[in-house]
Amino acid sequence: MSGKAPLDYQLNTSFGSKRDTLSKVLIDPILVFSLLSVLVFGLFVLFSANGQLTSMVFRQSIYIVIGLLLMFFISRLDQSVYKSFLMHLFWIGLILLIWVLLFPAEGYKTDRWVDLGFISFQPSEVLRLLLPLAAASYLTRSQRRPSVKDWCIVLSAILVSSFLIYLQPDLGTSLIVLASGCIPVFLAGFSLLAIFILIALILISSPFLWANLTPYMQQRVITLFNPESDLLGAGWNISQSKTAIGSGGFMGKGYLSGTQSQLDFIPESHSDFIFSVIGEEFGFLGIILLFLVYGIILYRVFKIAFNSSTEFSRLTVSTIGFIFLIYILINVSMTVGTLPVVGLPLPLISQGGTSILIHLVAFGFVLSMKKRETW
Amino acid sequence: MSKFLNLDRESKAQRQLQKRSVFLFLLVSLLGIVTLFQIVKLTILDSILYTTLSDENRIISVPIYPSRGLIKLSNDEIVVENIVSQALTMVPAKTLDIEKTLRELRVDLVIDEEQLLAFEERIINKPSRYERVVIVENLSPEQIARFSVEKDKWPGLSIEARLMRFNLLGHLFSHVLGYVGQINPEEIEDSEDFSYPLSFLIGKTGVEKTYEEDMRGGVGYKTIEVDVNGKEIRELDRVVPNKGSDVYLSLDKELQKLARKELAGRKGAVVALNPNTGFIKALVSSPDFNPNILNKTESGDIETIFNDLDSPLFNRAISGNYPPASTIKPFIGLLGLKEGEIDWNTTIEDEGFFQLNEDGRKYRGWKEDGHGKVNLSKSIIVSSDVFFYQLAAQLTVDRIAAFLKQFGFGLKTGVDLYAEVEGILPDRKWKLGAIGESWFVGDTLNIGIGQGYISCTPLQLAVAISSIATRGKIYKPKVVAKIGEEHIEKELIFEISSINQTDWSKLENSMVSVISDWRGTAYNLAEIAENKIAGKTGTAQIKSLTDEELTVREEYEDVRQEESNRDHALFVGYGPIPEPELTVVVIVENGESGSAVAAPIAQKLIDNYLRRKKLNVR
Repeated sequence: MSGKAPLDYQLNTSFGSKRDTLSKVLIDPILVFSLLSVLVFGLFVLFSANGQLTSMVFRQSIYIVIGLLLMFFISRLDQSVYKSFLMHLFWIGLILLIWVLLFPAEGYKTDRWVDLGFISFQPSEVLRLLLPLAAASYLTRSQRRPSVKDWCIVLSAILVSSFLIYLQPDLGTSLIVLASGCIPVFLAGFSLLAIFILIALILISSPFLWANLTPYMQQRVITLFNPESDLLGAGWNISQSKTAIGSGGFMGKGYLSGTQSQLDFIPESHSDFIFSVIGEEFGFLGIILLFLVYGIILYRVFKIAFNSSTEFSRLTVSTIGFIFLIYILINVSMTVGTLPVVGLPLPLISQGGTSILIHLVAFGFVLSMKKRETW
Repeated sequence: MSKFLNLDRESKAQRQLQKRSVFLFLLVSLLGIVTLFQIVKLTILDSILYTTLSDENRIISVPIYPSRGLIKLSNDEIVVENIVSQALTMVPAKTLDIEKTLRELRVDLVIDEEQLLAFEERIINKPSRYERVVIVENLSPEQIARFSVEKDKWPGLSIEARLMRFNLLGHLFSHVLGYVGQINPEEIEDSEDFSYPLSFLIGKTGVEKTYEEDMRGGVGYKTIEVDVNGKEIRELDRVVPNKGSDVYLSLDKELQKLARKELAGRKGAVVALNPNTGFIKALVSSPDFNPNILNKTESGDIETIFNDLDSPLFNRAISGNYPPASTIKPFIGLLGLKEGEIDWNTTIEDEGFFQLNEDGRKYRGWKEDGHGKVNLSKSIIVSSDVFFYQLAAQLTVDRIAAFLKQFGFGLKTGVDLYAEVEGILPDRKWKLGAIGESWFVGDTLNIGIGQGYISCTPLQLAVAISSIATRGKIYKPKVVAKIGEEHIEKELIFEISSINQTDWSKLENSMVSVISDWRGTAYNLAEIAENKIAGKTGTAQIKSLTDEELTVREEYEDVRQEESNRDHALFVGYGPIPEPELTVVVIVENGESGSAVAAPIAQKLIDNYLRRKKLNVR
């Protein structure tokens, strides 16, 4: 490591003490303020999407506050504190996954929830972020390049988790967990040749996989390619969501004035389809502005990743960055009809405590790894 | 050397990470570009198409609510029906300037300000601006005409026909039937199996509340196509709602009328029921109210009803706590027999007072000079306090409380009406908890004559007294005899088996003598009575008389100056003997005399009931 202080630090000192303390407290003020603005915007959208009920917004705010506190707490930690601990978190996720299969929670239609009495959540949602983080920390736990054994262990952990989620049955989340797990593997330098072989294998076995899908899942994939064929059935979600976004036009219909969302034409408008509410009420302009802020967040995350000092922090932070990017992309794509509906919330905006907490915790890790850099 | 190698590996890994990141980013961007193009296509290129689609997107599902079940008498006469009322409603989201609209309404439709203010309050608590809210109910034909002339001015307003509740007999059954009102948020949350809309009318008290689920029925749906303004174009599908069931009362209208007339607006309550089944024939609480004002089908000031100091909404028959006074004596006597403390020949000398020990406090009877030699039978007939002081002292509170509980004292009867209270059946534990003192023998003596801490509702008394008529069988009192086509069965809730038949009939004979014996406290009934009944008078003291210098009579003269301090008049009875068909309990607050005020009402009720019954049989 060179003895020169990083550029950021040099710039900061020249800007007087006020900016200095701000970056000391927030570590990366631009990143933190961008996150805050998306969160606050999300609360407003949630109010509109929930039939203007304040109780849901209130509950979400509580999760946000808890998430932010966790984020600031984690950002104060040194990466050596949690590095070895992070990969073991995977076991917790795995135990919860097996738990839901053995003891399904009552009251929900599917057996995807864990009910701990004071809180209930979907372990698959926790695993979506835990798995790639655990994989990243496992692959960089020593100075050496990962051995063949290491790759095998990580890959089997990924496969076992996504298979368990597939059993729930939740194909969409299972594929997302699979993809998220593969991100750190790919970034850590998994052999390109092996990747090609694996892809070829999947392509060959795909007809067999298709036959094994439940009719409900087959229907979901079919609907993607021709949603209009089944207007009142499975295609309803996509076509209503497209109508909402399309009718929003360039400027949008205005806050609280989206007829599609206010008249309950959009199903799940507060969770997975919240992007349609944004599109309808804020239009193309609103969407682009939101993307811009998301872009700033991503830019800061990757900047932190590439300037980071250890291989562990570089891999972990860029993994978090990619996961954030991919989740936004998947959610938006399914809302506008370019991907199948897989049931993934829009990061930092959709209603749901687990998703908010997990994302903010991840940003806590990102911030803590930047902090090491400025010292 | 090794350090150098390590550094080299690290920078190599760093370069690889960056390369792979860029590659992955480009890969992801492919999807990003497709999606971004789709967004541009939706919001800009095809926006007009989707705007049209959105406007045409008007196939909605509307719930259809069934009309509420009616309330009828057993002879099919309708007591509560649904009437159509024209209500002015608003969709807030479609009204540009709500304040201005309301101002215009005040002038153009002559809607009074208070109603508009109430509406503004309601609209503040609304979660959705797209749901229709009622501004005012019951538009007059003139208001409807004025509205139709100018309706284009207000696109968000419309007149909607709503079914409202109208009680045909007004005051008569007010406490039994109760009233309906707009559902409140807690009630919406509490109902799990039925999703009520915001402006739904739900039973708030009485039968309207108890039988809410039976009368409201099941909701249906229609799928309709609407235009841009939300007006129905055509109906596509319909699931018919299940109509609510009609509810049939066990109450006897004539008896109820008579009881209400006899109470003549005085504060009090009358309960009449069939001792052999528990079905209630009359339940009057006075003063009462006009339920239609609360149902909003008759004009009148709701606030006046709520703020009336005589509390007309309070159902004294099931929520009023009264000392049973001397009407408790038959039960204490029964316990004495059962426990062997006395038999029918046990005689004591009633000198007008009772002392626990020679120079202790004098517990005075209501008659200064006493009743002379009295046994149980005579003590009931003349209502000797001294006899029951002594008996109670022998029995102790533990045995008294346990025994009275069997007759339902201190317990809710379980009548099918809300807001029933359980009264107070005091014992050692109760007093320690409620008063914070330990039990004194004096407290036991007071229970012996139905005074002190003990209290009960008129309905509880009626159920307890009925058990003498049925020789120990206690039935759950009910006001509804039939729901839809389904008859409700009588329900035996307890049977007292520890009393032998001779004791029951001798007790009944004593209670008959209360009226027929010249010494009886209700001998005044003998003149008017058409039927032989068994009964017991009671005079409940409001203020305890403890001044030993004055006689009871002298002291009371002073107390009665204040009307609210005057004694309550009680009478319990059943008839005809030997085959009782009706139990009647009458309580007249501050009525002073159980025999002169309460007893004649009971006798008239029983006579009236039987007279009509005979006519019908013929």
